[in-house]
Amino acid sequence: MTTSVVASRAADRAHEPSWRQRLPKGGVLFSILWLGILVFLVVFADYLSFIRDPDAKVRVAGRLQSNYKLGPGYSAWFGVDGNSQDVFARCIYYARNSLQIGLASTVLGLLIGGTLGVLAGYFRGWIDRVISILIDCLLAIPALVLAVMLIFRLDDIKATWTFLGWMTRKWQIIMTLSILAIAPLARIVRAQTLSLREREFVTAARSLGAKNGRIITKEIVPNLVPTMVTVAFTGLGILIAAEGALAFLGLGLTESWGFQIESNRRRLEKAWWATVFPCLMLLGTVMAFNLLGDRLAKRFDIREAAV
Amino acid sequence: MSIVIQASTRATDGPLLELSDVRTHFKTPRGVVRAVDGVSLTLDRGRALGIVGESGSGKTILSRSIMGLLPPRGTIRHGSIKFEGREIGGLSRRAMREIWGREMAMIFQDPMTSLNPLMKIGAQIAEPLRLHLDMSKADAWATAERLMRDVRIPAPGRRLHQYPHEMSGGMRQRIMISIAIACGPTLLFADEPTTALDVTVQAQILDLLGEQRRERNMSLILVTHDLGVVAGHTDEIAVMYGGKLVEMAPTRQLFANMKMPYTEALLHSIPKLADPSHTRLNVISGRPPDLVNPPVGCRFAARCPYAQTRCREQEPPLIATVEDPRHTYACWYPVGSPEYHEAKERRRREAELAA
Repeated sequence: MTTSVVASRAADRAHEPSWRQRLPKGGVLFSILWLGILVFLVVFADYLSFIRDPDAKVRVAGRLQSNYKLGPGYSAWFGVDGNSQDVFARCIYYARNSLQIGLASTVLGLLIGGTLGVLAGYFRGWIDRVISILIDCLLAIPALVLAVMLIFRLDDIKATWTFLGWMTRKWQIIMTLSILAIAPLARIVRAQTLSLREREFVTAARSLGAKNGRIITKEIVPNLVPTMVTVAFTGLGILIAAEGALAFLGLGLTESWGFQIESNRRRLEKAWWATVFPCLMLLGTVMAFNLLGDRLAKRFDIREAAV
Repeated sequence: MSIVIQASTRATDGPLLELSDVRTHFKTPRGVVRAVDGVSLTLDRGRALGIVGESGSGKTILSRSIMGLLPPRGTIRHGSIKFEGREIGGLSRRAMREIWGREMAMIFQDPMTSLNPLMKIGAQIAEPLRLHLDMSKADAWATAERLMRDVRIPAPGRRLHQYPHEMSGGMRQRIMISIAIACGPTLLFADEPTTALDVTVQAQILDLLGEQRRERNMSLILVTHDLGVVAGHTDEIAVMYGGKLVEMAPTRQLFANMKMPYTEALLHSIPKLADPSHTRLNVISGRPPDLVNPPVGCRFAARCPYAQTRCREQEPPLIATVEDPRHTYACWYPVGSPEYHEAKERRRREAELAA
């Protein structure tokens, strides 16, 4: 009698997942750790003693470590670059820009693209047709070409209108990238809305006399959140890579991983660290967002998005 | 503070619902589908009408036509729908919104999908109350709790704050009922309200519907494919086939004296508890008619065991029986007629020969 009780308890315990099993698996664990540590370092960079001022020159025993003199090691984890500045500190500080730009343009893209998608999917008819044509036009132009064009246009526009003084380079990039994000986001939100509006609970709400506005805000949009979050994660990775690409081409910020890679890559053979570490940062961050996005897509059963 | 809103407070004279020659057609790439093709009926206040028919007979489309819930694009609607003496057939959505929830409400087939998964139960019941009756949030939630008690949900105070996934199918259907009756509609549609539920729960839900109907003096239109479901819970039954009304009678009258072979076949297709196990189920052979090109003559002729040449050539009109003017049917050789018996005898002999 007693033994069977004990045995069944043991069996219960065996079925209960251990802390090891409860941990997210491989890719997701990496993503969470990577992003968690990165965000922590980025937020508290100013207060952490092991992160130098990115513009300060590194000295060892009072001597300036100029011209890639110092490789990765104790005094500078990722080595120094041509101006004897700490590569690690720069990687962390530049992550600030990357993350801010990625996040801001995703939010902007979600707001505009999401609104367009919901309107198109819910109202159908001519609204849908107009928005769909707009989306198709945006998707037809290669993204990078569009981004380059937009940046130059925004420069012109800023030069002509004085009240646009607030529009720094950073804002220009955010706006450009968010326009890139609009089309795919609008498309997937529209598709999801199309399926949601035919769901029975939407018909039920309508049969109780709910108005369109109410149905959209209370019934449709809350049910779109999983899709939006998923697409936002995948999109974030892509937008951060795009930001790096713009910087690499010299169109973005100079305080960016992309520009770091560009300015050091000629000395790759002599000082690999100054190029490789920013590359790895970019790779890790983009991959972390992508893996999280994939996991969420599987979790919420969202079909391959056209991002 | 909470109040029970009763339909009776707005009662006027005359039948509640009058349909005449209601036709609902859909434009599709294959052609025009005549989903509902000329249905006329009346429903009095406080009465329960069962609409019975198999899949594709137009029963759901008929109820959605009355509600005006069909997609506006590609839908062609004819005929007149009078609700409380007022024509509502051609009303815009904006005008219908005043009727939806307050005058007419609908319970859907699948309670698993007809509640918003992301909204608390209380908020979903309170929504029509706040929308139509301008209740404050606190009043609406108090009324919601009372409604939940009315539909026999235990511990309603706790359940209010739960989400649909925390409840069973039967409970969700009770919630759907409480949402539908919240604003005291005069007419309640229940579209196969028990199809998605366990057999044991079905009877409870039907009883609950009947009880709420009597208490609130509502009329009920119960749409189902199961004659057994409507038998104990309706005053009248309308049998639909291929988009048309083929028989309509007070419930008792219909079961005592059914005229249409289709109604008979539907009744025979319900398995009986008394039958020994492994008894073959009676089926109606063949398929429902193509509603793009409906057959000439009686639409049931192709599947009717008693069909004669006339059935395939001329469409039978809806006529009243001699005994009861409320009992109408559309059949040339109804159950009980000499031709019917003859055909039945012939079939029996053929079956014997084959054996």
